[in-house]
Amino acid sequence: MKSARFRYFAPHTIAEAVQLLDEQGDEARLLAGGQSLLPLLNLRLARPSALIDLNEIQALAFIHPRNGGLVLGALTRDATLERDPLVAARQPLLVEAAHYVGHPAIRHRSTLGGSLAHADPAAELPAVMLALDAAFTLQSSTGSRTIAAAAFFKGPFQTALQHGEILTEVHLPGLPPRSGSAFLEFARREGDYALAGVAAVICLAEDGTIAQARLTLCSVAPTPLQATTAEALLRGRHPDDAAWQAAAEAVVNELKEPPADIHGSADYRRHLAGVLTRRALALAAQRAERSHS
Amino acid sequence: MTTTVSERAWIGKDLKRREDPALLMGTVTYINDFKIAGMLHAAVLRSPYAHARIRAIDTSAARALPGVQAVLTGKEAAEVIGPVPAFCAEPVVEHAIAVEKVRYAGEAVVAVAAESRALAEDALDLVEIDWEPLPAVTDALSAMQPGAPLVHENLGTNVVYDHVFTFGDVDGDFARADHVIRRRLRWPRATAAPLEPNGAVCAYDPARDTMEIWSNTNMLNSASWVMSSMLKIPPHKLNFYPMYTGGSFGSKHFLAKVIGIAGALSKVTGRPVKFMEDRLDNLMANDSQGPERLYEAELAVTKDGQFLSLRLRTIDDYGAYFIFAITGNTNMMAQITGPYTIRSVETGIKAVLTNKNQQTVFRGAGSDVGNWVLERLVDAAAEQLGIDRVEIRRRNFIQPDQFPYKIPTGNVYDSGNYPGVLDLALGHFDLDAWRQQQAQARQEGRYLGIGLATAQQRSTYSSTEFWFHNPAPATGLNSTPESVRISVGPTGGVTVTMFSPFWGNSPETVVAQVVAEELGIDPRDVNVTYDSTAHALPSAGPGGSRMTVMLAGAVHGAAARLKEKIFKIAAHMLEASVSDLELVGGQVRVKGVPSSSVSLADIGMRAYWFKLDLPPELESGLEGTFTYDHPYTTKPHDDRKDLGVFYPIMGHAAHLVAVEVDIETGAVRFKKYVAVHDVGTVLNPRSLQGQIRGGIAQGIGLALLEEVRYGPDGQNLTSTFVDYLLPSASDVPAIEVYHHETPSPFTAYGVKGGGEGGRMVAPPAVTSAIEDALRPFGISIDEMPITPEKIVRWVKEAQSRHQRQTN
Repeated sequence: MKSARFRYFAPHTIAEAVQLLDEQGDEARLLAGGQSLLPLLNLRLARPSALIDLNEIQALAFIHPRNGGLVLGALTRDATLERDPLVAARQPLLVEAAHYVGHPAIRHRSTLGGSLAHADPAAELPAVMLALDAAFTLQSSTGSRTIAAAAFFKGPFQTALQHGEILTEVHLPGLPPRSGSAFLEFARREGDYALAGVAAVICLAEDGTIAQARLTLCSVAPTPLQATTAEALLRGRHPDDAAWQAAAEAVVNELKEPPADIHGSADYRRHLAGVLTRRALALAAQRAERSHS
Repeated sequence: MTTTVSERAWIGKDLKRREDPALLMGTVTYINDFKIAGMLHAAVLRSPYAHARIRAIDTSAARALPGVQAVLTGKEAAEVIGPVPAFCAEPVVEHAIAVEKVRYAGEAVVAVAAESRALAEDALDLVEIDWEPLPAVTDALSAMQPGAPLVHENLGTNVVYDHVFTFGDVDGDFARADHVIRRRLRWPRATAAPLEPNGAVCAYDPARDTMEIWSNTNMLNSASWVMSSMLKIPPHKLNFYPMYTGGSFGSKHFLAKVIGIAGALSKVTGRPVKFMEDRLDNLMANDSQGPERLYEAELAVTKDGQFLSLRLRTIDDYGAYFIFAITGNTNMMAQITGPYTIRSVETGIKAVLTNKNQQTVFRGAGSDVGNWVLERLVDAAAEQLGIDRVEIRRRNFIQPDQFPYKIPTGNVYDSGNYPGVLDLALGHFDLDAWRQQQAQARQEGRYLGIGLATAQQRSTYSSTEFWFHNPAPATGLNSTPESVRISVGPTGGVTVTMFSPFWGNSPETVVAQVVAEELGIDPRDVNVTYDSTAHALPSAGPGGSRMTVMLAGAVHGAAARLKEKIFKIAAHMLEASVSDLELVGGQVRVKGVPSSSVSLADIGMRAYWFKLDLPPELESGLEGTFTYDHPYTTKPHDDRKDLGVFYPIMGHAAHLVAVEVDIETGAVRFKKYVAVHDVGTVLNPRSLQGQIRGGIAQGIGLALLEEVRYGPDGQNLTSTFVDYLLPSASDVPAIEVYHHETPSPFTAYGVKGGGEGGRMVAPPAVTSAIEDALRPFGISIDEMPITPEKIVRWVKEAQSRHQRQTN
């Protein structure tokens, strides 16, 4: 389990990094926290010609408030997300989900941008981005563009990133008052990839009905999944067990072919998605009510 | 000169493990840290097929890669090394690198030695193999069918062993029974998965035809003569060095394949070669997978719940090779009837070969399976007869006054107090309170379960277990000695030398405490070392929970010899008679005259450097050596109706467990775990607790998580830790461990071995708890691991059964 040979670069600026990407061509890979890429290298499942290590680029690691929401640098570690008071105040969903990413040792290395760009359908953070209606800044030597999370995840380990582009920033809009969120997942062991995970955001109207619900899932489809049928069904309803049950049934019906492996069949993952949907929605609504009182 | 409990200064003291500082500070050398001048690194190409013939191998491109010093196919390796040593009588031949055909996915096909491991792996990428894939058999039942592909053509069948052992009047007892409890049970294939895989550095000296070997094998001294035939070097020209082992769990026995591969490459290059398994190597080809058994199990019971007889039929998937024969099945015959007065037993064993990595043994060695099967039957009997699970056990326990107790197979249990252990466990658990909570929770739609297991933990194996199943055994070995050397230096410093390596638990702690006890010194002043096989006294090495018993016996014996000389010299110095002397606090003194004394330092200096002032019959130096043989073993009878005494040092444990099961997700959460173990006199409560907790963690892993899985094509689906799930700290609850002490009458100080007990008792306890949680659904659990998906499925099935019945 030793990697094949590769060239190694450690640029200090984004400009240097995108230039290196251009120079090194299609076979170059970006290295962030390395928690997925390094095992792939050592198993020789990935054989890049060059590694461009982003860890020296200080400008990629930051957390800023913006318009009631947040802007996060792509090199923000998951351990930082877990502990940052600003993130906790504005997007507690991210804190809750980051806690499910691997183990503490992993979270001290793993990065937000790395997880999004890797686009593992089992990963937590992509689903959270979808639930929070995030947008990503992608930068290349010719300029930058912004893309919505919903348009970014294309398939398992596939994203809208073009060669030459680096995901540099994550933009999260703020949540309206009377909002609550919850992330729940089920894995064989703590720290494992989930067999199913659910991110739920509930925004309540003045009259206590559901003004808006966002519901996304990980590990049950080729990409993080937004449960649009369930979301639509919840809008305007009273936040009660019947609503959560209806949403859970909609999610179960929506899931055509969840992935199956030795840790869980498609049927079991579909079942879990339903159970977790019900529980996550109830928890999010409870928190929304509590945030108001 | 065994001291009584009250007199003991150090045995039983709760001392910190003396191994830990070096392990934690990283000052010990593991095999992967080991470097020697000129050393090359090996890597192994493994078969992508579970069963295939090798038509041709082209290694020319690999050989041409700069930095590559040797490339060996199986055929080429067979010119310098022989087959892997095997203890089976059946003609099942294994090579360290496969010759002609491969029999499991992951079997070694080509080995490379290069200037670095990465370079060696680069070379493997360049090897081309022309394969002829063959159909694979991946489960024992298919492998038994006529016309199934043969793993070893020369056998003419995949059923490599098939025999029914009968001990006592089984048919009569079943005829007399009021009830026969029947269960069909499935035990999953697991693996030891120590943190450190297997490795070896072999340095062949072509000028002397000698080989020096640094390996994490646990069986140094037997390794020399066992591996001589493979390495084609006489045993006395092999020197094995003991290495610190990064976990073994009883899986690092001979490690013939890693030593064979490094040895062959060293022989052809004339340079030292390191072969260190990586995780893929280890999980695919470590040869220490555990049993994979189907049981038809029956317990004959009277109407008042007395167990009369046990009848077992098992089909056991041994994988592709058979180096330890059916040791996993013979081992459990040591305690097959458990702590109960079952008077007859029949056990039928079919060992089947399949296209998987082979089964040998690790922690539990088959007795783990026996405990689970028996405790499943006992729980089932309680349920079927409507007798409380605690009560039915009490009714069948062997009583404290019945020891030594001979079980139907011929093995003898030395001592025990099973009701006492159970009472202690119940005292710490509060069963009534948990039952109330359980009833309350069920009303709220939550499912609490209480699990109980009362089971044996045999210790101190005798090598007859390796062959008594066979009327014409390959070996017939019957010694399992262990030795130490204690020396007092010229300044009075005490050094104990062992001839078995550090294998993961606490040999240094044990030895230091016993020698301190015997010499009246502080264990912190004792130096403990290991020696290589060239300098070794007889030693069988770790395995079968024997080392604490055997080292205590060896130190006890060596100390007695040493003291004899100490007293002779002291008597000479003090002008007193030996019978008037006593050894207290590192001083020999005249009894009743404390002022008339000499220290160990005085005696040591005299012994080494003042020959003319010694008693004339004594030679210089001050040491005691002792080889402690198995304290109590006998040969099997020729008709094998009595297997002899082969595992008599019998520990016992009771585990009480409370869990909560989330029936929607299938999650199992531990609420309380109480474990009471009786392994005789406790040498060190702390190190024993560590052993017990570690074993329970492994047992929980087996019950809930672990399983080596193969796809229908024979691909190993669990070749990384992403898929082979070991319990982590968050999966293992806080475990309350208590000791009950019933000394063995046969061992030094009454100690018994405790290395495997946690893993041997946790699986039935955890299974019992989950089954109890799911009792409202009428679910009986007959397999492990008990995964969340299975729980959800069982509950759904039970609910739809219930619905059908009520409709």
